[in-house]
Amino acid sequence: MGQGKSQFSEEELQDYQDLTYFTKKEVLYAHQKFKFLAPEKVGHNKNAKLPMSKMLNYPELNVNPFGDRICKVFSSSRDGDCTFEDFLDMMSVFSENSPKSVKAEHAFRIFDFDGDDMLGMSDLKQVIERLIGKDNHLSEQEMEHLIENVLEEADLDDDRALSFAEFEHIINRSSDFMNAFRMRL
Amino acid sequence: MSGGGNKKKPTKAQGWEEAGSEFYQESYPTDGEFDALQRDVNPKHLATLLPSKQTRAAATIRPRTNDNRTIRRQTSSRSRRDSTVHRRASTAADVQVSMLPDLSENLSNEQTTWEEIMQIKAMPVPMSQKKEMKAKILNEPNLRLQGYEQLNWKRRKIWRHFASRLKEFNTKLELWKNSLKRIEGHFGTGVVAYFIFLKYLLFLNLFIFLIIFLFIILPTLLVNLNDDSEQNVTETDNVVLDLIQGTGFMERSILFYGFYSNQTFNYTINETVMYYNFPLAYVCIAVLYFGVSLMSIVKSAANGFKDRVIEGEGQFYQYCNLIFGGWDFCIHNERSAGIKHKAIFNEIRACLEIERLVEMKQNRTKNEKTRLIIIRIIVNIIVLGTLAGCGCAIYYALMFSKEKQKTALENNEADFLLFIYGFIPSITIVCSNVLVPFLLKYLVTFEKYNPTFVIRITLMRTVLLRLASIFTLYASLVEITEDDNITCWETFVGQQIYKLVLTDFATHILLTFFINFPRALVARHVKNSFVRMVGEQSFDLPKHVLDVVYLQTLCWLGCFYAPLLSVMSFVIFFLLFYIKKFACLVNSQPSSTIYRASRSNSMFMIVLLISFVAAVIPMAYSFSEVRPSPSCGPFRHLHSVWYEVESTFYSTPNWVQDIISFLTTAGFAVPVFLILFLLLYYFKAVNSANRQMVIVLKNQLVLEGHDKQFLLERLSKFMKQQQEHQKRLRQIDVLQDGDTNISSN
Repeated sequence: MGQGKSQFSEEELQDYQDLTYFTKKEVLYAHQKFKFLAPEKVGHNKNAKLPMSKMLNYPELNVNPFGDRICKVFSSSRDGDCTFEDFLDMMSVFSENSPKSVKAEHAFRIFDFDGDDMLGMSDLKQVIERLIGKDNHLSEQEMEHLIENVLEEADLDDDRALSFAEFEHIINRSSDFMNAFRMRL
Repeated sequence: MSGGGNKKKPTKAQGWEEAGSEFYQESYPTDGEFDALQRDVNPKHLATLLPSKQTRAAATIRPRTNDNRTIRRQTSSRSRRDSTVHRRASTAADVQVSMLPDLSENLSNEQTTWEEIMQIKAMPVPMSQKKEMKAKILNEPNLRLQGYEQLNWKRRKIWRHFASRLKEFNTKLELWKNSLKRIEGHFGTGVVAYFIFLKYLLFLNLFIFLIIFLFIILPTLLVNLNDDSEQNVTETDNVVLDLIQGTGFMERSILFYGFYSNQTFNYTINETVMYYNFPLAYVCIAVLYFGVSLMSIVKSAANGFKDRVIEGEGQFYQYCNLIFGGWDFCIHNERSAGIKHKAIFNEIRACLEIERLVEMKQNRTKNEKTRLIIIRIIVNIIVLGTLAGCGCAIYYALMFSKEKQKTALENNEADFLLFIYGFIPSITIVCSNVLVPFLLKYLVTFEKYNPTFVIRITLMRTVLLRLASIFTLYASLVEITEDDNITCWETFVGQQIYKLVLTDFATHILLTFFINFPRALVARHVKNSFVRMVGEQSFDLPKHVLDVVYLQTLCWLGCFYAPLLSVMSFVIFFLLFYIKKFACLVNSQPSSTIYRASRSNSMFMIVLLISFVAAVIPMAYSFSEVRPSPSCGPFRHLHSVWYEVESTFYSTPNWVQDIISFLTTAGFAVPVFLILFLLLYYFKAVNSANRQMVIVLKNQLVLEGHDKQFLLERLSKFMKQQQEHQKRLRQIDVLQDGDTNISSN
């Protein structure tokens, strides 16, 4: 921990504590984890930018079907490469203390593949395909049926796509979401 | 922003105008955007320009520059969205408003500044931008709080600091944090919920032990230290056997009921004599720990129930839940990830399958229906028969062991045989608990229920089995004690439960380490598919839940007869955590059924509640009806245990007696019941009205959505026309220009 401490000034730590859902200790711990991804790079520059391929070595992201999406959403340069601050943002959102609304906001962006600010049919299809993995296949008909069911449940204004308001509405009613959308540091 | 307009208020009209213009600026596309739009007119693209979409787009898509305008945009978007979603506290909007630089009269003070900073963390922007925002807020001139407010603010600041420190400390101390994380990584949140439940039971038992220790064991020990007169009963039998069976020297130790005295202790501290009515304390503690257990169960169960209600009436959101909440983001292990994929896939198919089944159910012919009903009835009869059979087996095992023990004592047979005979009832019970569930699982396949219901009904049947076995044990114990001349039947009951707990624990160890572990090893290293099928096992959550709930039930039952059972169960739960962790991480594969954390939590609590009721009923009966044994324990000369409380009640002042007896009369009870019923009815009515309202509003939303689409389409058509019109105009212009050119030439 001693080495990690020397890389941050007290002021920076205070900033991080104020701007994330972490305490200073947790911030340092997060930095250790970040450093672990690329020790030589982060050792020189605490806020080094790691390419997405390196980021995906983080165990939770590695097996997560939405790993690349997560990196892209949190990357400040929008290409999936993350600095430590981006990583900290990510962990903060996924931490236990962040409220549902914040998690919903980011979940929505992660699921919004084409970036049109709506979860349309194609987005839903991609989400489902990634969820069930490469080895399992739903038939065309099943997939259609499934998307139909999702829309039936959630699409309140009947425009064949989920807006953020609709998405948040579901999330508010889903008690699993808060448990699922979480990574322990 | 209308909020900003209101606040300035130089003249109302001006304010509105400004607000209006601002609104216009924000919500409608600027010329450039419009031009871009006109190139491809399409309702979909138009839709992205709607205010509701714009607001989100502001935060997501737009390139972020750091001038005021973008911040203002974002902030305005936030506040507006909040109002649509009704979620965030209204302070959020206020804070955002005060971030506007032009609202100089709304100067922030230290407190609001701090609150503003706390708001930043919820914003979906990268850290660098957050830092800038923070710096900006800090640079703004702010007022120092004065006098009392200043003091108050300081106090809160210190408190907050202290709270965060405490939290940090707490997380460090948190029991089994790493284990839980590991399990979560492998098995997901549903299984972790089970281990958290185990932890909860551990602390519940710790609490029970503490109150028993403080109010029952400690006073007894203190008195016995004062007059150590009776410690001369050390029989040098087989110590180990005694320890396991709870006989011999154990029988007369503080472990069992019989040891405790019926005196009112008096302690002399500084020459003042203090009285401690021990029997009364004994009853009260029993009532207390039952009460506390009930309260904590009901509290957690109510939490789960609330979640279930919020989750939507029944299954409304099952698909959305599955898709948006299906993946556990905490999974970090490749194998588990693969299995999770598979599990989600299965669940999706199962959901679709259920839908088909429901359709099929409606299409079932009469013949099939009757056949299914007959099958179900037969299965239920078989299940009941099995339960009865188990009950009989337990009863006869108990009788048999009693007889054998008696004859063995008379014939002076070996200790070991006696030991075996003593354990026959416990072994019978544990065997039936282990074996019968397999039968139930097999039987349920004939009944063709849907998968979720299958889990529920097998669980309920197994719970019934276990409770029935406890009931029979208890009933036959009481019967034995009535016609036999056992000197202290309470101690006897305590011994039986003590043995049962030990046997149960031993079975867990045996099953986990000596049967399931080799199985897992075999499955891992042998390629033969049949052997693999035998060896592979999944972490069957309902079964493991039952194991711990069963142990807890025994503890509740036994604590009265063997007070130290609480500390035993505390230790057992502690060890059980590691045993179950081993069973989970080493022996089992992740299960292919998805256990949802929320749902399984409420399931645990319901099962626990049922067994709590099952434990309380016999206890209440024996408190009020069964005569305590005359020669031992705190209640040796009383008609019943409850008599102690009654006699204390009659020694209280008259007015207390009057009040309490009034509370128990019909004159008091009937109005209370009436009021409760009315309240219940009222809430039910409110509930149904709200439900109606939800449906109405939903329909309205759909209508609005249609209207919106319609309008968008009309608008895009209109714009297309406009474009074509302009094109034509331009063409005409060009033509005319050409004409004039020609004519001028």
